[in-house]
Amino acid sequence: MRKVDLLVIGGGSAGMAAAISAYEAGVRDILVVERSGALGGVLNQCIHNGFGLHRYNEELTGPEYAKRNIDRMKELGIPYLLNTFVIGLTGDRVATVVNPDEGQYRIKAGAVILAMGCRERARGALLIPGSRPAGILTAGTAQRYLNLQGYVPGKEFVILGSGDIGLIMARQLVLEGVKVKEVVEIMPYSSGLTRNISQCLHDYGIPLSLSSTVTEIRGKARVTSVVVAKVDEARRPIPGTEREIPCDTLLISAGLIPENELTEQAGIVMSKGTKGAEVSECLETSAEGVFSCGNVLHVHDLVDHVSEEGDAAGYHAAMYLAGKSGGSSKKDRIRVLPGNGAGTVVPQYITRGGDPEEEIRLMFRPRAVYRNAKVLLRCGDRTAAAKKMMVLTPGEMCTVTVRRKDLGDAETVTAEVEA
Amino acid sequence: MYDVIVIGTGICGAAAARELSRYDLKVLVLEKGSDLCSGASRGNSAMVHGGFDADPGTEKAKYNVAGNRMFDQLCGELNVPFERSGTLILATTEAEVPELYRLKEKSIENGVETILMDTEALKKRWPDMKADAPGGLFCPSGGMVCPYGLVFALCENAAENGVEFRRSALVTKVERAGEAWDVVLASGERLRTKIVMNCAGTHADEFNNMVSDRKFTIIPRFGGHIIMDRKYIPWVDTTITQTPTPLPTGGHTKGMGIMPSVDGTVILGCEATDHTDKDDVSLPRESIDQIVNYFKGFWKYLPISAASEEFPMDGIISAYGGLRPHPDTDDFVIGEAPGAPGFINAAGIESPGLTAGPAIGKHIAELAAEMLDAAPDASFDPVRHVKKPFRVMTDEERAAAIAENPDYAKIVCRCELVTEAEIRDAIRRPVGARSVGGVKMRTRAGMGRCQGGFCQNRVVEILAEELGIAPTEVLLSGEGSNILTGECCEVHFKEAEA
Repeated sequence: MRKVDLLVIGGGSAGMAAAISAYEAGVRDILVVERSGALGGVLNQCIHNGFGLHRYNEELTGPEYAKRNIDRMKELGIPYLLNTFVIGLTGDRVATVVNPDEGQYRIKAGAVILAMGCRERARGALLIPGSRPAGILTAGTAQRYLNLQGYVPGKEFVILGSGDIGLIMARQLVLEGVKVKEVVEIMPYSSGLTRNISQCLHDYGIPLSLSSTVTEIRGKARVTSVVVAKVDEARRPIPGTEREIPCDTLLISAGLIPENELTEQAGIVMSKGTKGAEVSECLETSAEGVFSCGNVLHVHDLVDHVSEEGDAAGYHAAMYLAGKSGGSSKKDRIRVLPGNGAGTVVPQYITRGGDPEEEIRLMFRPRAVYRNAKVLLRCGDRTAAAKKMMVLTPGEMCTVTVRRKDLGDAETVTAEVEA
Repeated sequence: MYDVIVIGTGICGAAAARELSRYDLKVLVLEKGSDLCSGASRGNSAMVHGGFDADPGTEKAKYNVAGNRMFDQLCGELNVPFERSGTLILATTEAEVPELYRLKEKSIENGVETILMDTEALKKRWPDMKADAPGGLFCPSGGMVCPYGLVFALCENAAENGVEFRRSALVTKVERAGEAWDVVLASGERLRTKIVMNCAGTHADEFNNMVSDRKFTIIPRFGGHIIMDRKYIPWVDTTITQTPTPLPTGGHTKGMGIMPSVDGTVILGCEATDHTDKDDVSLPRESIDQIVNYFKGFWKYLPISAASEEFPMDGIISAYGGLRPHPDTDDFVIGEAPGAPGFINAAGIESPGLTAGPAIGKHIAELAAEMLDAAPDASFDPVRHVKKPFRVMTDEERAAAIAENPDYAKIVCRCELVTEAEIRDAIRRPVGARSVGGVKMRTRAGMGRCQGGFCQNRVVEILAEELGIAPTEVLLSGEGSNILTGECCEVHFKEAEA
């Protein structure tokens, strides 16, 4: 069995940031494993700009953002394997990998960083009634056809879901010369970034129908129309509000799901809320020496934040390998819980002890849209940290930091929204 | 002139074709769909019925029991996964218990082993069942098979043994031509044959009624199914269904059930609703709601409730509909049609048709061979030579497969672990895949939890390469189902030219 100090699964933005950060923290024996033919992950098909505003203070395209990381990887000489799938992982850090040059073999790692990213929710999981013709695809699949393969997957589109990829695709399809008739969103608000609603829909006159969903797909060989209806508060279609929209393609942009098959295979404790692993503030999972970062941990809005989380995972994995930290899953720790108005908080645990001055960052998605709200971290009756926010929306991740010493000897800390 | 023309490649047509290939005969199989198995045998519960449920003395009972007994050898020869995972009929109320005794008696008459179980026995065998059910009837010979996988395998083996196949070949008419028959295609082409086998599924009544004095009608009976993520399979080791429900238009259904597919996913379904359209398998919302609502209530009686206390909506990966051909005769219509010598029916093959199919195919092939006085073909090879899926290979088998063909190390579908080698093989095999859907049904690429979101782009490229066509010509299934509508910027170029 091969051995490596640090195995990074996934060569996208999270994995590359983690590998670079671990190297900078002193780890030398690193292997990054990437399933596709190039490093960069989904960034390679995101040819629009808007990446890197926070991290580089510049507006880059996806491939440009990826290239900065790839160049740094090469500069440091961090080894990576392409066209290589990890098809198995155990809790004691043995990975089974397969590629055409080396066949299938196992790697025993001192530490593992999970950076597998996420996948899109598909038509099947949405249970849209109707026929099963050609012309139904997810926004990311369409983006790959368009940007990496050079093909257009339709002529007249309806987009279901106002996730960011769907919004970006709406604009790009218009620029490509095809028609986007409408974006349909089941929630009373968009799940995409405000700037994408403005720049991708408003600027191109594409209508957005909120509290609506596709209730039927019609067409035999190819989609000929979809039926759209208003939904009630329980998100059930309201009879009598149906209208048929002729189109030949239904693009689905209805959410992303962390790709955690390996994590579950390794028997790691999962969060029902994020569909990622439960982690400590060191991003260590319930399996000792196994860390998780980026969209496989929880779905982010911005790649800048994914890279930041990768940095942290790489650093903590290096500290774990040096025997300086980690094993957090076994130690005394504080449970982080979502309170009023907050979705699942990452990390789910904060280790007690450690540097009292350390600023620990907590992230969650608000459950609804709030204006002039306050985000509070509460330990029982005591407020450990507070932050004022003009607008909170489920489409944008909320971040709040707390100093370890301000948590005191609390058993739990609860994040909540006061509106 | 052909000796036999088989209309339809469902389970009966495919089984008949393979049985006919044992003889020295000129056989043609016609399928109206763009691929094999495009009707009733495609979308069903995938169950191999034990045979305790069919009314004794009927064709259904006879062929169900005979068919069930053929599965071990047949699936072994064809290299198709088959599991005798058993079937449990669960009575959830005391009122249903007499039904179990009634079924027990029927099973004795049909010669099928069943075991009556009380609450205690059920809890002992399935400790994960949360709620106490008053009783159950377990049939150990019940099983599961991949229905379209079996049909593809039967057709491949038939093709390897010399049977000719034509897809997208819609038959519009069958006419008497002296002692023989003319089979007329939608294209106008006439094909002459000594014997016609009518295995046309929901359309079999139309062909029969063109030639026979004994008319019947087929009602397309719809059923929807839901597929759950493979992570639940450890809690589903056997099929569990409710007690059978009588239907207003005759016959009855096995009722809702939970089935462990041989591919490692979990199938839920199905309800039974009579339709009018014989080809429309669109899934209505009512069907989905009916299944979901049923299982929300049934859940606590099932061992799977240990994996998820409530019915997990986020565990659903897909849903599909299917049509069973229900005959108004209420029994299978098998054999030479009265007043039409040489016209052989395998019609009205509704549930348990998948189980009965191999026995029906064998019977009608033997009938034809006798009528034609056919000699056995000495070169017949019953074995379908195919590597097992990479997904289920051992480490040693994987190493050997990769050493022989490095394409086995290129994972194309990550959810179902399908390699490029398997996709190319599915296209190159006899009567192989010609579309993304064909690849999916043969290899499972695109059938997993991401439903092709990741692999479809690559499958399109591979199909284009293998078939020597442009990616824009690659189809999802039938004619007009192109996945891509043009090249990038084509629209702009056209505008510029104008």
